[in-house]
Amino acid sequence: MPRVLGHIRPRMRWIETQLLILVAVALSVGSISLGLTLSGTIAPYEPVGLAIYLATLGGAHLAQILAGRRSDQVLLPVVGMLGGLSLLLMQRLPQDLVTLDIGETTLGLGNVQLVWLVLAVVVATTLGIVVRSDTWLRSYKYTWAALGIGLLLLTFVFGADVGGQRLTLRIGPIGGQPSELLKVILVVFLAGYLSENRPLLIEQDTRLGPVRLPPLPYLAPMVAMWAIALGIVVVQRDLGAALLFFAVFLALVYAATGRVSLVIIGLLMFLAGSAIMASLFEHVQARVAIWIDPFADPLGDGYQIVQSLHAFARGGLLGMGFGNGLPEVGGRLPIPEVHTDFPLAALGEELGLIGVVAILGLYLVIVERGLRIGASAADDFRSILATGLALVVGVQAFIIAAGNLKVLPLTGVTLPFISYGGSSLLANAVVVGLLLALSDKGVEPPPPPSGGGWRWRLRRGSR
Amino acid sequence: MLSGTSRRRPLGRTIVHVALVLSVAFGTLAGAAGYWAVVAAPGLVRSPYDPAVISAARTVPRGLIYDRDGELLASNEVDANGESYRVYRSRTMSQVIGYASPRYGRAGLELAYDAELAGLAGDPMADMFRKFVADPYDPKDLTLTLSLPLQRAAARALGDRRGAVVMLDPTTGEVLALASSPTYDASAIANPATARETFEALLADDRQPLLPRATLGRYVPGSVFKIVTAVAGLGSGAVSPSTTYEAQPPAEEDGLLVEGFRIRDGHHPATGDRELDLVGATEVSCNIWYALTGLEIGGADLVDYAARLGFGAPIPFDLPTAVSQVTNGSGDEPGGFVDDVELANAAYGQAETFVTPLQMALVAATVANRGELMRPRLVTAISGRDRTRTIGPASLRRVIDRSDADAITAAMVEAVEGDLGRGYTAGADVRGVTTAGKSGTAELGGSGEPHSWFIGFAPAEAPRVAIAVIVEQAGRGGEVAAPIAGDLMATYLEPGG
Repeated sequence: MPRVLGHIRPRMRWIETQLLILVAVALSVGSISLGLTLSGTIAPYEPVGLAIYLATLGGAHLAQILAGRRSDQVLLPVVGMLGGLSLLLMQRLPQDLVTLDIGETTLGLGNVQLVWLVLAVVVATTLGIVVRSDTWLRSYKYTWAALGIGLLLLTFVFGADVGGQRLTLRIGPIGGQPSELLKVILVVFLAGYLSENRPLLIEQDTRLGPVRLPPLPYLAPMVAMWAIALGIVVVQRDLGAALLFFAVFLALVYAATGRVSLVIIGLLMFLAGSAIMASLFEHVQARVAIWIDPFADPLGDGYQIVQSLHAFARGGLLGMGFGNGLPEVGGRLPIPEVHTDFPLAALGEELGLIGVVAILGLYLVIVERGLRIGASAADDFRSILATGLALVVGVQAFIIAAGNLKVLPLTGVTLPFISYGGSSLLANAVVVGLLLALSDKGVEPPPPPSGGGWRWRLRRGSR
Repeated sequence: MLSGTSRRRPLGRTIVHVALVLSVAFGTLAGAAGYWAVVAAPGLVRSPYDPAVISAARTVPRGLIYDRDGELLASNEVDANGESYRVYRSRTMSQVIGYASPRYGRAGLELAYDAELAGLAGDPMADMFRKFVADPYDPKDLTLTLSLPLQRAAARALGDRRGAVVMLDPTTGEVLALASSPTYDASAIANPATARETFEALLADDRQPLLPRATLGRYVPGSVFKIVTAVAGLGSGAVSPSTTYEAQPPAEEDGLLVEGFRIRDGHHPATGDRELDLVGATEVSCNIWYALTGLEIGGADLVDYAARLGFGAPIPFDLPTAVSQVTNGSGDEPGGFVDDVELANAAYGQAETFVTPLQMALVAATVANRGELMRPRLVTAISGRDRTRTIGPASLRRVIDRSDADAITAAMVEAVEGDLGRGYTAGADVRGVTTAGKSGTAELGGSGEPHSWFIGFAPAEAPRVAIAVIVEQAGRGGEVAAPIAGDLMATYLEPGG
């Protein structure tokens, strides 16, 4: 990373300041509402945790002011709001859902999530401040791709089966879900590949009857992506990640080339792949059957999704109020895995329809900021990279929210910035950090256009 | 920097397309959230699978249930674990009120009004602001149309015989008594200490005490069905009150031959060669007159008028009801009859005709209310913390003209009070009041005793009560069911009763 820090001149970020004050007020009110419900006093619930979190956000804000970069001022407050909702939700859930022993002390769910949230804010801010050049990303795209596939293979070989899914890679004491990081790596690779071959993909044609397609050899990566997505399903049994990768990939191909035919081919391949998967794997069939009619077996297979829908129904328009939802029967939560797979249902019950719509709106704001950064980026690589990063967050939020709401079959991806989990929070923090860095137009200009990669030059030369 | 010489289009436009697609996708999510949180919510939050319902059922005392005079019928007690359970006043009410048990779920009105009694359902506006209320549950009390003394009298009259009594106010549809026998002790099911042994014993009992016979029992009606045939005959215009048949008196000797089947009668010694009209035929319960009338009406109109009275579909009621039928509809003749033999037999209540006691009470009530069928009701008021919803009388439909209903009333009065009629309905007459009615002796085939039926109403000039009584396999209608009906109507009509 050449010229990591140049000459530093502090620069105020008033919009970010105002938005962060709003976030702090909203979260404090939420915490007081939670305290009122759970402990019956007009005081914030677990004020120390919230204070640490808000102080971290303030510190991130201050660091960005001091660093003096002209990066986006909306992303941090929006992500901060979602993370704050996550903190309040995890504080409110039974603390023994997740425990972590550090020496003598044992951290419960809320405090473990607080640690990850603080780390995530630090990672995002640090990347946003420090990254001033994208050479390290754009020059080594095949290295990144190899790293991603390596991660996938490692998971296959050493991964631990948790609940029928092989998602967790554990090396010594450190465990994590590689597919969270994999999505970032794949976006970097795609940005590199698509920006380099963009002219070719747009301008060259292969005629297939009445259909005009890009040169067929350049479809190879598409087939490779398709294979990787299917591989994820087979190896990890992770339908959500496969859906996420493929959707982001198709959207990026369209954004880079503007060719609808490619998207249609991709969708046809997706449908074919889905049909093959559904005929080969019982767990895929089961997922689909549950999705079509969860109420057929409300106490068995359909239990989770039925309970999720009940939670939204109990919430109604205005919600039950923070801390008032999730009625326990016999000391058991109504929704299993609420902290990883169903946080939106829990928030839907306690904050109501308006809360859900507001949360969905926050995700759309992140997507909008990311796409805006992409649309106004200095060159194709940065443009596609920013678009891809925004889509990773937006599409993932869509997939799990759609699963909670019975719009799509339920898959086990996390709700970005809200679900419990270190891998998810850190991977999405990297996304936010890169978007912050990309949004600063005052940084090092991209290398001059190379004219479309060596193949393009070779071909032109041979004419 | 993008060079001006580049022929590539900038990415901006396609990114906008991507943004539009994602916006639509998130809009879909918001729509789905709206569907589950608002549109589908009322059904989901009342579902027995909702943990809030399960949780509230264990801790929040259910609403109380009162009879029409304010007598407490269902209340709550608290066990050692602090969980609330139901206590019921009278086992005669069990088939109507049912039970609420954490182990065995709900039955009867406890099931039908579960959400209200548990305090979960109110009006949508109140539900929306529930989170701002200190106590989010508002269990509603129910006030029933039933009279506890009358219900007890009905149960006492049935004794340990199997059967049912339905009494209602024909002008308002208020059900005054709805007794089924045998019954059971709902309190023993609701009490956690005795629930299991009680319920298992009830399931093993082949007398089927858990079956609410008044609403779900289906019986051969026998001659009480003739009132349905009379309604169809006058309503469709196929016959008039003065219609007589030349073929009737000679057939009294050795039966009426319909397509090779012989329909028999037993009143020949009393009526001789007299050609009977509606009043005469009803007074002596002439099978042959009604069989000939059924053939005059035709299958289509008979089934159609029966449907106007409530046959062929569940009755709109607070409790589930079995469907009463004129025929099982397996034939190709009009109305679904197999042939004229089935039609002629159905017209006096045999063949494939099956009815619920509630349905037959509605037949009597429709004639009593001069041809207009009122919706039968069990609940008059649902009272919440600060709001009471009352449920008033509602007409289901006009079945026949007033004049036709009056002609049938005259015939039914003669069946109870006429010189010959008295012999078939001994004891049905309410002293001091003109009583209308019709007995039935439903042959079951084989050697078993017939079902004993009576339907009727009083006072005939201005009816205040209509009744249906069935006692299973108890013998002739006039000997068993008729006196029960007379006593119960007298109990209700007597001053202060």
